[in-house]
Amino acid sequence: MRSVTILCFFFVLNLQAQKPMSTDEANALKNLVKQQAKTTKTITSDFVQYKHMDFLSNDIVTKGNLHFKAPNLVKWAYLEPFVYSVIFKNDQLYINDEGKKSNIDMSSSKLFKQLNGLIINSVKGDMFDAEEFTIEYFKMGGNSLVYFKPKEKKSAAFIEAFHLTFNAKGEVEIVKMIEPSGDYTKIVFSNKVLNNQISDALFNN
Amino acid sequence: MRYLIISCLLLVVSCASYTKKQQLENQISTEKIIKNPYFSDKNQDYVYKASIEVYSKIFGGLLIIKKIDKGNHRVVFTSEMGKKLFDFSITETNFKVNYILDELNKKLLINLLKTDFKALVQEETAILKSFSKENSQVFQTLILDKKHYYYASNQLDKIIRTGHRKEKVEFLFSDINNNIAKSIIIAHSNIKLQITLKSIN
Repeated sequence: MRSVTILCFFFVLNLQAQKPMSTDEANALKNLVKQQAKTTKTITSDFVQYKHMDFLSNDIVTKGNLHFKAPNLVKWAYLEPFVYSVIFKNDQLYINDEGKKSNIDMSSSKLFKQLNGLIINSVKGDMFDAEEFTIEYFKMGGNSLVYFKPKEKKSAAFIEAFHLTFNAKGEVEIVKMIEPSGDYTKIVFSNKVLNNQISDALFNN
Repeated sequence: MRYLIISCLLLVVSCASYTKKQQLENQISTEKIIKNPYFSDKNQDYVYKASIEVYSKIFGGLLIIKKIDKGNHRVVFTSEMGKKLFDFSITETNFKVNYILDELNKKLLINLLKTDFKALVQEETAILKSFSKENSQVFQTLILDKKHYYYASNQLDKIIRTGHRKEKVEFLFSDINNNIAKSIIIAHSNIKLQITLKSIN
């Protein structure tokens, strides 16, 4: 009986464990996500953000919603435990910090352009740029898990890797950004709606 | 001659010590140590929504403070989106920069943050002199060789750092619950810098 229990335990463990994908499987996922990203004109989604730092007793949990409109409008709005939003638009960052509005010109910042590109691509899931990243593919239950490790030293100095979890439809469910120290920010999306109408006015601060 | 007297008088007034100017009354106290309880619980993550106003520019983020051990605190500032901007370890004898964003890696700024955060998190400080003012007891201390005055009524209400006999920085603790200061203001009077902290946990 005990050996059956142990066997079951390993079986369950095995289901949860991530296994490397074959090249065919990886290509199939890449095509699915690229296709999904191409047909995605807008995204509306709730999110929960977990900031993990090893020295803390608990992760810092913040919640809010995200709006994306192709090709490059993004709004992150935090609703709990504080109200704060940031809009990425035309090389500008528009911030609304509990009613206090400001903007930062990012047109001269190459790093910002990279970051903005990364944010948009990670929301859509389309980060399969082999020049920019070393990419590894894994299967995990019915989901796919892909590691993107920046090749460029400057990016690698503050991001060790992005881990993106995709559902069977090729949509991003979890984005995990891991810092070189091992601390990370994990964003879990829920109630995602694709291609509904979003007015441009939503991206005005 | 009259002008001379007036200017001498002005000189004397402006040279008066901080304690004289504030009309602090000398007091004999048996207490040797003043405690700041606001960052003293090892099991507590202290998380604050922070707003830093410097020369009328405003930066926001989260200030995260954790007591790692006795006389050892970690102080981390991140953007709302989770990007780490700086990460310091502050102990009784040491100050270590674990990480700082390139753009912020300026000696002057780091020194300023070091003196502010050291005074903010230091749990036990030796009392050099005691005074009283209205309903408060006031204790003179020395942190990083700078005079700091602790104002305590039923609780620690504020810390004032002075330099050249003048108030330089004020640390104001309010909305206190269970030894957590829900609201903290760090206001500099010689430079246009104010840090406002609101507890979010």
